Amino acid sequence: MYKIGVRIMPRAEVLDTQGRAVGMTLKSKGFQVMDCKVGKFVILQIEGESPAHARAQATKISEDLLCNTLIETFQIEELP
Amino acid sequence: MTELQIKLKLYRLNQDEYAQIQKLLGRDPKGLEWALFSALWSEHCSYKSSKIHLKQLFSQSPRVLQSFGENAGIVDLGQGEKIAFKMESHNHPSFIEPYQGAATGVGGILRDIFTMGARPIALANYLCFGEPKANRMETLVDGVVRGIGGYGNCVGVPTITGQTHFHSSYNENILVNAMAVGYFGKADPICLSKAKGVGTLVVYVGAKTGRDGIHGASMASESFDDNSAAKRPTVQIGDPFFEKLLIEACLEVMKKDLVVAIQDMGAAGLTSSTFEMAEKGEVGIDMHLDQVPLRDSTLTPEDIMLSESQERMLLICDPAKLKPLQEVFERWGLDASVIGKVTQGPNVRLFWNMELITDINPATIVSHAPQYQRPFEKYNSPYLKPQAVPQDGGNTLQTLETILKSEHGGSREWVYRQYDQRVGAATARDCSDPVGVVRLPESGRALGVVLGCRPHMMRLDPQFGGRDSILHPALQLAVMGFEPLAVTDCLNFGNPEKTETMTQFVAALDGMNSACRELQAPIISGNVSFYNETKSKNISPTPSTGLVGLRSKMENLPTTAFASEGEEIYTLTWGDCWAEGLLAEMNDKTPKAFLNFETQGFDQFVKELTKLGTSDLVSSARIVSKFGLLYALTRMSLNGMGARIESTQNHFVEPLYQIVVSTKNAAALEKEVQSWGLKPLKIQKIGQTQKNELVWADLKVKSEVLNQLYKKSWEAQFENLA
Amino acid sequence: MSDKIGVLRFPGTNCDWDIYKAVEWSGAKPTFLWHQDTFNVEDYDGFVIPGGFSYGDYLRSGALAAHAPAMDSLRTAAEKGYPIFGVCNGFQILCEAGLLPGALMRNAGLRFIDQMIEIETQNSHKRFGLKLKKNQKSRMPIAHADGRYFVTDDELKKIQDNDQVYCTYVANPNGSAGNIAGVMNAKKNVVAMMPHPERAIYEWMGSSDGQLYFRN
Repeated sequence: MYKIGVRIMPRAEVLDTQGRAVGMTLKSKGFQVMDCKVGKFVILQIEGESPAHARAQATKISEDLLCNTLIETFQIEELP
Repeated sequence: MTELQIKLKLYRLNQDEYAQIQKLLGRDPKGLEWALFSALWSEHCSYKSSKIHLKQLFSQSPRVLQSFGENAGIVDLGQGEKIAFKMESHNHPSFIEPYQGAATGVGGILRDIFTMGARPIALANYLCFGEPKANRMETLVDGVVRGIGGYGNCVGVPTITGQTHFHSSYNENILVNAMAVGYFGKADPICLSKAKGVGTLVVYVGAKTGRDGIHGASMASESFDDNSAAKRPTVQIGDPFFEKLLIEACLEVMKKDLVVAIQDMGAAGLTSSTFEMAEKGEVGIDMHLDQVPLRDSTLTPEDIMLSESQERMLLICDPAKLKPLQEVFERWGLDASVIGKVTQGPNVRLFWNMELITDINPATIVSHAPQYQRPFEKYNSPYLKPQAVPQDGGNTLQTLETILKSEHGGSREWVYRQYDQRVGAATARDCSDPVGVVRLPESGRALGVVLGCRPHMMRLDPQFGGRDSILHPALQLAVMGFEPLAVTDCLNFGNPEKTETMTQFVAALDGMNSACRELQAPIISGNVSFYNETKSKNISPTPSTGLVGLRSKMENLPTTAFASEGEEIYTLTWGDCWAEGLLAEMNDKTPKAFLNFETQGFDQFVKELTKLGTSDLVSSARIVSKFGLLYALTRMSLNGMGARIESTQNHFVEPLYQIVVSTKNAAALEKEVQSWGLKPLKIQKIGQTQKNELVWADLKVKSEVLNQLYKKSWEAQFENLA
Repeated sequence: MSDKIGVLRFPGTNCDWDIYKAVEWSGAKPTFLWHQDTFNVEDYDGFVIPGGFSYGDYLRSGALAAHAPAMDSLRTAAEKGYPIFGVCNGFQILCEAGLLPGALMRNAGLRFIDQMIEIETQNSHKRFGLKLKKNQKSRMPIAHADGRYFVTDDELKKIQDNDQVYCTYVANPNGSAGNIAGVMNAKKNVVAMMPHPERAIYEWMGSSDGQLYFRN
């Protein structure tokens, strides 16, 4: 069993509506925030033959379902 | 390929257009000019294949304050009230990214409305999907519906009516058409997009410019092919929250008289807004592209001119009023930046870091855009010879069950329960009825909104189908007591370079136009969406329409289901046209039909119906539509009511046109209808309402059984969307 | 003398005028209060937070609005015992602000629901629902994506024992704990509900049962 984290963020060139709204609020509260991006973090427990195999499955899962690659990017990391 | 050919392909211009540009400029186009011509001469912006035909449209009536040429049409309702409305397509973007495509479609049509100074009060949407089991179809249905809801609900405009159709011709090219209606009270000014006043400022408000949708306008003017995936980075992201702020701020500055002119940045973004505002006002504009607020600092002038980032507006403002204008926007958390000024002209001059990069007369690009007379053939309907109406066959209950279980006959509740239908606290009839109804805030009268176009009628006969796209919704309004006032449309067709498509287009427009003229209900806004074809397969011709109607009061609004037991049920039947319609299609049978329509007196029929619909003579009413009389009676019985019917009419043939009404006062109703003296109109008593059960000839079925079938069909068609 | 009711407006509030009109209908005098401004609580007899999508419902519904300056004044009003009423997004904001127990999460079906539903009164409120009787049924619409009321089992028992449940769904549409459609704080001056009584004032809206929630 491997624990894989998937970090999903809006693509840099795509407007992050949520990040903009959170950023606006933080600024209006006086925080010196120049930019804000909001994403998601998904933790998967995967049965796999090897770390590489688990990561490959996580990549497929991310491309298929977790992430809309038109507007989001994702990064995979193995968690302890 | 030569360098020129590569350039023409990139900017989607053909050799003739290139020659015309050379002639207009007296030289080769250079630099940014390529992008400007590409955008403004695209089918999407220039209407080059349809303009010749659209000019023929019946588009004026004494009530019309604004017809084509602005962001939306405006109708005078009297008593100081006015409405603006328009319908628009977002088909291609929705097929690529359904959620954002549909959402930005709603956002765009709302901007067309509030740009004119009207507060949006209602949304409607017309959707055509492929077969439920077609590739990606569940995902598309899910995304589109969530996208429409996500945007409309958040921005706070109720969705009060809609239609959802399914057919294999939409398998790889779905249709997403959105309509918005806006309201002007006594004190609300109408704002136009004509720039004026030398020295006035060009102000950019709303979201910053990013890479969204660059070349979007020219993409919408192309057919899909297998390379569509490669065009994906142009997905536009909509933010309804930002739009809501923009609505409030824009309406406030217009009401405070702080703007001279205003235009939203829709297709081809800053290019179309700048050039159209200058061209309409016959003025020049000096614009500094480096002053445009950017989300991405690597954007080039060409990117900036073509970006279709959402929720942006261009305003013209008197310098003396800039400060109060900026204060309003700031209060709503938005920036308003000066990016240029209006000049004597005639040229629009674009600057980049003080360097003049383009200097061109807007008329050259806007009013000299090409217009094509694409080849078409004269359409002759094959259904003008009288023939016997087919007899009923088979087991009635079984057929009815098949219809109710199918994607065509089942409930759409799964769709519309995801839309906020009552925000604004003015909704009297929601998406569960054919006509959506909102109360007008100042006069307390009722406004009805209904959509038209039945794709199966279009497949049968595009000319009659076009007529039906007006008459069918007009009857739906009339029988509820709404006077049909005006029409908006969204003409979704295939590739106009094919004779077959243009023939359908011209025939449909002709049918629509005659019907509008007869009813004196002009078409005052809309759009054309061509190139709805994938791999050379065209969609069904689909000229969707949106009609608005006015009712003098809220009281006595008939229900569309039977109201109480023991009422007499009548049919009012106009003429003797009929079609086998959707059921024949479901059975893979070529439908038979008789479509020689009696126009004489139909306008009076609609007027009389309108009066009847506000009287207390009708408690419930429904237009007999797809699947014929039995299906209409079924729909009227789903609320636990029912009927005992004695009629020899075919259960499933679709009459054009027939209305079912129920009344508590049979004698008065008969007398009233006879007093109209309309020859083609037949009134027939067909039965009585009762509780719980629908009985007609060999059919005897509990309403609850029908209701369950009707409600559960969605789950059966879309397993993963229940 | 008619009551003066402050109606809070945030960027993205979209039921502001609906509430305004319902308050006006009840005979009270509504005044809009802007999210960026604090206000003097003594100038009013009560407050309403209308529905909508404050700040686009980004991050969590109501989370960003709960940090607005106007909410500081509203906290003072709550402490002083002023009647405060939240509807839909107003409910979410009051929970995020800690003025009501619990939280509102994504509906069990994961989709937005617009539907006419039936609720049952569990408790009346001194200003917003004085004449409501226990077990009285009312019909009105819901329209929300984040309406599933969530509290821990212990907390649920506590608010039930303390009569803090304001109204419950007759048929639970969204998976709310204890079928709860509306709750009150321990002092019973702050109350909120997910259904929209302001959309059920006149018969032509489909129901006029919402009247009792505004009439004093």
